[in-house]
Amino acid sequence: MIGFLRDALDAWRGGGTYSVAVPPMDGALRPNQALEEADEALAIEAPDNLTRFGERVLFSSGRAVHALEARDGGFAASRFAQFDAPVSAMAADSNGGVVVGLGSGKLVVRGGKHDGETIDKVGDRRTMCPTALAFVDSDTLLVALGSQQNPPEKWKHDLMQRNASGSVWRVKLGGGAATCLADRLAFPYGVYPAADGAVLVSESWQNRILRVVPGAKPTVLLADITGFPARLAPRADKAGAWLAVFAPRSQLIEFVLRERDYREQMMREMDDEFWIAPSLAAPRSFLEPLQGGALKQLGILKPWAPTRSYGLVVQLDDSFEPKLSFHSRADGRRHGITSCLELGGRLLATSKGGDAILSLSISDAKRK
Amino acid sequence: MAALIEMRDVTKEYRGVPAVKNVSFTLEKGEIHSLLGENGAGKSTLTKMMAGVTEPTSGEMWLDGKKTLFATPAEALRSGVNMVFQENSLVPSMTVAQNLYLGDEKFFNRLRGLYIAAQQFLQSMNFNVDPFATVATLGAAKKQMVEIARAVRHHARVIIFDEPTASLTPEEKHYFFSLMQRLKLRGVSIIFISHALEEALQISDRITILRDGEHVVTDVTANFDRDKIIRAMVGRTLSDKLYSRHDADGGGARPPGRRVLSVQNLSMGKLVLNNSFTVYAGQITGVFGLIGSGRTETMKIIAGVMKRKYFHGGEIRLEGRSIRYRVPRPAILDGIVYVTEDRKIEGFFETMSIAENLHMGELASSQSKGFVVSMGEMSALADEWTRTLNIKAINSNARVIELSGGNQQKVVIAKALVSKPKVIIFDEPTRGVDVGAIAEIHQLINRLADAGLAVIVVSSYLPEILNISDRILVSQKGRIVEEFTPSTATEEKIMYAAVH
Repeated sequence: MIGFLRDALDAWRGGGTYSVAVPPMDGALRPNQALEEADEALAIEAPDNLTRFGERVLFSSGRAVHALEARDGGFAASRFAQFDAPVSAMAADSNGGVVVGLGSGKLVVRGGKHDGETIDKVGDRRTMCPTALAFVDSDTLLVALGSQQNPPEKWKHDLMQRNASGSVWRVKLGGGAATCLADRLAFPYGVYPAADGAVLVSESWQNRILRVVPGAKPTVLLADITGFPARLAPRADKAGAWLAVFAPRSQLIEFVLRERDYREQMMREMDDEFWIAPSLAAPRSFLEPLQGGALKQLGILKPWAPTRSYGLVVQLDDSFEPKLSFHSRADGRRHGITSCLELGGRLLATSKGGDAILSLSISDAKRK
Repeated sequence: MAALIEMRDVTKEYRGVPAVKNVSFTLEKGEIHSLLGENGAGKSTLTKMMAGVTEPTSGEMWLDGKKTLFATPAEALRSGVNMVFQENSLVPSMTVAQNLYLGDEKFFNRLRGLYIAAQQFLQSMNFNVDPFATVATLGAAKKQMVEIARAVRHHARVIIFDEPTASLTPEEKHYFFSLMQRLKLRGVSIIFISHALEEALQISDRITILRDGEHVVTDVTANFDRDKIIRAMVGRTLSDKLYSRHDADGGGARPPGRRVLSVQNLSMGKLVLNNSFTVYAGQITGVFGLIGSGRTETMKIIAGVMKRKYFHGGEIRLEGRSIRYRVPRPAILDGIVYVTEDRKIEGFFETMSIAENLHMGELASSQSKGFVVSMGEMSALADEWTRTLNIKAINSNARVIELSGGNQQKVVIAKALVSKPKVIIFDEPTRGVDVGAIAEIHQLINRLADAGLAVIVVSSYLPEILNISDRILVSQKGRIVEEFTPSTATEEKIMYAAVH
C-alpha cells in the first residue's frame, strides 16, 4: 500500500522511476577523445557485428559479411558471404560455423556442423528481430530477439512505442529444442555466455545488464547505464566484458519517453529521422529541430540542443562495474558503436553511425 | 620604527592553567605581523589581552611607549586598537549599514545618507555586500567582510584579524590582501592570525610563532619558509608525504570501486541547478567550488539536511535505490552522514561532553527506542573514539567547548563515524584547524577510503583538494562543471573551471 502511494506521489512530482534524470558521465565514464582519435581500420558503410572466427575477424555491412584482413600495414575487407536481407546479428564457433540473424526474420547457419540450417521460429516466437547471437558450444546457440513488433532496423520505433517484447533463447541446433531463458525484455541487444553457465544480457531500453540463469528470475548486474547498451564482448583477460553503447541518454529523450501523447503524435506526423529519439549518427539536415540555441560553458560556446548520438565503449570489470571508457563526444563523428572486439592489445569497434571500423591501442588510450 | 604595542612577559591563566606563559611581543608601526601557532597555542588569548577583551594575569602592555591596561574593548577601541573576531560580533537582525555604524549613530540619523555612505564605503573596499541586507541573511564570507569593514571604518591604528580569510573566496582574499597593504601604507599596524601558512608568508613583514602558550620565534618573513614555520609550530617535522599522498603524476590515486551514490539532475532553487555526479566506494571524491557554487547545498540535500525542488527536483540513487529524505535521520540510517562545515552551529552541542555528543551520533543511527541510557556504554564508546581519533582532552567528560578547534572537529567526525556510514561527506574538514590536526584528519579520511567507504571532501582550499582527492570535481553555479584526475589537475585549471 505504501509502495503504491509512494509510486503515485513519484508520478505526480516526477521523482523515483518517474524522474526525468540521467546518470552523469563521470568517474570511469569521464569523456575523452579515444574513439575520435582512434585509427580508422576501414571505412565502410554501417559496419556491425564484429566477430572472431578462428584467426580471422568477421563483420557485417548491410547484406554482406566481410572478413577484416591486415594488408600493407592497414586493413582491407574481403567478401565472406552475402545474404538476401540486412545482417542484424552474427556469431561464429570454433568449428567453422557462422550463424547470422537477418532483418527478414531468419537465422541462417553457414559452414560447420550445421551448415545450411535455417531457423525462423524459436519456441512459439517468430525470429523477427534477431539482435544478438552467441555460441555456447558448437551445438548450442544463444539468441536474443529484440522485439516481437518491429524488425531490427525499426529499433527507434520499438523504443518510442515503449515495447518490452524481447526474449532470450537457448537453441539446440540441428532441430533441437529451444528454451526461453528470459522473456518480456525491453530490447535485449547483447548476449554473453558467462563462465558459470549464466547468460548476461544487455537490455537496451532499460539501460541495464541482466544476469539470466535458467529457471530463475533475472538479476540486475549493472543498472542505470548512461546510454543505450548494445553488444557485449569478452575481454582478453576473461575478467568482465566490453560493452558497446550505441546512443546516449538525455533528459530530453527521457522526457519524451514519458509523454505518451507527444510520442504518438511525433510518430504519426514526423519522419523518424527527425524524431526526438536516440540516433546512431548526428543529423545532417537543417530540418533537425532544436539546433538554434547555444550556451557558454568554460568559455566555449556549446550547442544548446542535447546530442542524440554518441560513441562509447565501456570496459567492465569482473563485478561488471565500469572501469574504463572510450568516447567519441557530441561534436565527434564516430558515433553509434554497436559492437567491439579485443584483439592482441587493441580494441576494434564498429561505428555504425560513423561508417568506420576503428582500431585503438588499449594501453595507449588508457594512458591518455 | 618605534614599537606601537609591546607586551612584556605577559601570562594569562584560566583556573590556574596558563593559556599564555611569559610571552613578549612587539608590533611596529605600519607593519603586518603574522601570529602563527597550532590551535590552543595562545594566539587568540594574546591578542585578546591587547584588545582589552581579557586582562593578563601578570606582565605588562605598553602602547606608544606608555604602560597601558585596557579594562574593556571600548577602551582599546578609543585608543585605536580594534579586533576582528573569528566569531561574528554583528547584530544579526540589523542591516549591514546599521552594523557598520553601530555605536557611532548621531542623535538624528538620516537612513538614506547612512546607506549611501555604507555603500560607498563598501565599494571603496571592493566588498560586494548589499548595505540594505539584514546580516542574518548573509553567508559566512559576507559577514566576515562586514566585520572587516567595520574595523577599517573605525580608523583603527592597530587591527587584529583573527582568521579573517577562512571563509573568503580566493578572489575576495586577493581584495582583502590589497586592502591590508593599503592600510599598512596609511600607517596602520596589523596583526594577522591565520592557519594558512602561505598567506602569512605572502602578506606579512614579520612572523611570530607560539607553541603551547609560549613564544618560540619572531623573525622577518624572508627568514621563514613553510617547513620552518611548521617545525616551529608543532615542534616536529610533518612529512610532506603525510599531507600529500599522491605522486607527482597522480599515481597514488585509488581506482574507483562500485558506484555507491549517483546524483542525477538535482535541483534546489537557484543554488543547485541540474547537478549530476557519481561517488564510488573506496575513493575520495574531492569537490572544489567557490562560495555560492552550490556544493554545500548539494551535499546537504543528499544527507537530508535540505530538500530538493519538490517537482522534478532530480534523482539521487544510493546503491541503485532511489532516495529522498526530508530529515537527516533516515539518511544516517541508510549510511549517509554529513560532517558540517560550521561545526560550532551544526556540528556539536558545545555544552555537552564528548561522550554525550558521541552518544547523540549513536542515537541518530540506532533503531533502538529505549528510554534508558547506559552511562557505561556511553563512556566506553567515548573512550574508544577518543583513543581512535587521538582526541586530546582531559577525559571523555570534558565539554566540547573546552577543546581546541582541531579536537572539536575530531569529535564531530567521531560523531559521524559512530553510525558506521557507507558514504561520508566532509564539508571543509580542516577549516580553522591547525596543521598538526590537519595531517591527522587527512590521515583519517584516507583510512576511511582505504576501508572501502565512499568519501566526499568538499573544500575551497586548493592544496587540500589536490592532495587528498582521488578524483576532483569542480562546482560552479550550482552544478559540477568539470572533473579532473590528480595527474591532470593543477590549481590554475581547477580555478579556471570554478570561475568561468
